[in-house]
Amino acid sequence: MQSPEPHTSHPPGITRLVLIQEIRSLLLSPALWIMLIIVSALVGYSFMQAVSLFSQASKTALDYPELATGMSPFSGIFVPTFGAYYLCQTLLLPFIAIRSIGLDKYNGTLKLLVQLPLSPFQLCGVKLVAMICVWLASLIPAVLVILLWKSAGGFIFWPEIFCLLTGHALYSLTVITLAMFAATVTDALPTAAMFCLAATLGSWVLDFAVSGKADLLAFWENISLTGMLRQFENGLLSSTHLVSFLSIALLFFVFTVIWLHPGEVIQRKILKTFVCIIGFVIINAGTQLAPRFVDLTENKHHSFPAQYTTALQQLDKPLTITINLSPQDSRLLDLKQDVLGKLQRTVPHLQVHYTTGTSGLFSKENDENYGLIQYRYANKTETSYSNSQEEILPIIFSLAGITPAKATSNSPKGHPLVTEIPKGKIIFYLALPLFFTGLAGYFRKNT
Amino acid sequence: MNQLTVSGISKSIGNSQLLTDVSFSPIPGEILGLIGPNGAGKTTLLEAMAGLVPVDSGTIKISDTPIALSSRKKYIWYQPDDIQPYAQQRVSTTLTFFCQSFGQDESTLEYLMQNLDLTPVLAKKFQELSKGYCRRVLLTIALLSRQPLLLLDEPFDGFDLRQTLSVMNLLRKTRAGRTFILSIHQLTEAERICDRFLLLAEGKVLAFGTLSELRGHVNRPETATLEDIFLAIA
Repeated sequence: MQSPEPHTSHPPGITRLVLIQEIRSLLLSPALWIMLIIVSALVGYSFMQAVSLFSQASKTALDYPELATGMSPFSGIFVPTFGAYYLCQTLLLPFIAIRSIGLDKYNGTLKLLVQLPLSPFQLCGVKLVAMICVWLASLIPAVLVILLWKSAGGFIFWPEIFCLLTGHALYSLTVITLAMFAATVTDALPTAAMFCLAATLGSWVLDFAVSGKADLLAFWENISLTGMLRQFENGLLSSTHLVSFLSIALLFFVFTVIWLHPGEVIQRKILKTFVCIIGFVIINAGTQLAPRFVDLTENKHHSFPAQYTTALQQLDKPLTITINLSPQDSRLLDLKQDVLGKLQRTVPHLQVHYTTGTSGLFSKENDENYGLIQYRYANKTETSYSNSQEEILPIIFSLAGITPAKATSNSPKGHPLVTEIPKGKIIFYLALPLFFTGLAGYFRKNT
Repeated sequence: MNQLTVSGISKSIGNSQLLTDVSFSPIPGEILGLIGPNGAGKTTLLEAMAGLVPVDSGTIKISDTPIALSSRKKYIWYQPDDIQPYAQQRVSTTLTFFCQSFGQDESTLEYLMQNLDLTPVLAKKFQELSKGYCRRVLLTIALLSRQPLLLLDEPFDGFDLRQTLSVMNLLRKTRAGRTFILSIHQLTEAERICDRFLLLAEGKVLAFGTLSELRGHVNRPETATLEDIFLAIA
């Protein structure tokens, strides 16, 4: 009956068999269906709230066309709606991912799986693919949101949606691999959950902690999960954040592969982990050297007009900007959003210095230079209190002795819409939850 | 199958020495009993052989060539006791999955299910099974495997005498040139089925050989049972 020779022949499709088995396990897990029901309700609530607020703002905007320019469905509808996904990805998705490895460890299935003709890489890959399927299933409410918004006559700029989805996909991927790693290195499911939440919620909490520290903030936004997601929510696709997200996800996935096999000696696991961390640092440092950005917003919100961009890219000497503003000052926030960020993505050699500390909003009010921004290029210096692009760019061009071509207007059109989603409550609070409950019952009976 | 050799396996956790320089060579095709009281290190030894726990020292060799951790699964299948693979799934689904994963045909699965009387529980979930049925399902998975060396941890635990005899009979019939190493703490059952015995206590090998060789080792008459021998040595 059995072959007495080494079992070297792999049955065809062993990876597929294990994947099907993994998906079966997930379909029988109440946690999956509970998550999908909660996602439906949360996404539905966020969407209807966003539509209501957008409609109210649109009523005013329709009377005053200049206000309409700020009415963007991307930031008004889709970003807040996907905020519900952020909650679910942070608080619910890790539990499903932890379960996919943790339960196998707990009930002993893992001891059999590691003996099948699959490498730990393949085994973890199968589990990751199954979890990606879970994430795709969780997008069903998002698809309905898009359909409902479109059917209500709403405007959709697809590159913006693509950017937002990419950000959430990468965030979810990172959370999934982090949770898988947590489940691999801990002995109990609650410990793994705490480990995972400490990383995701910790990242969110630290966002607040560094918000008053301008120098730290710039660095932190490049490594914080929420900070990186925010860039995608702004419609800005950046190579730095793309690579950072992917490399963090890959790092935790590789950690999971390394630590999954119970028979490997711990010293070797630690050594491999250390090598991976070095590789991770090198990849990210390399990406920081030559960042690339693609502005996917409809109105090119994150870019200067093309003529100005071309002129700024010609600055071959370092441009130094020294800012005397408190980190919490709203003028600094506007300056960063409207000018500094764009300059950092355009000017080849830009240095930004802050001369104020972190002592608070009113601490520098007696400083007569407070609010002053100094621009230095090729030993020439100019100062200004302005934080407006229209006043700052001429200063820089003057210092550099460049006269750019006249820029064409880049002003946004705006897409105000007064609407309501009459069937929203039935769809998101009743039909979708019932649909998921029915599917859960079906799989429980037939799997 | 070529000669397998377990050579100098030692394993400790903290100050506790679980295995100390364990060495032996099973004869291809034999049923070798790993005998010892609870805590003797039987399960640790089986898991170390299968590469499921790291060891401090020692190697597993085939024809004097050490087998790397990643290659153990080609030669060895270890069936742990007291596990519930895919506990929420139906027994039939789990068994079919392992049958396909091992590249076995359905008739083999049918044969094993029939001999282990699994038909009444095929539609049940693994987590709903009694201890005896759990053992039978685990045994079915083990017998579906195709590796030349099969390590079974406490395969008769939870069976009554009739069931034990039936399972022993099935093991003999399905052996087909494979080597079985059974970890057993019930000495009567071990004496009935095993060709040779490795007596283990506190992680150390006390004796190794056939029943007759063990009797000679402790100067006991031909009527001495495995229990008598074990008590004389331990």
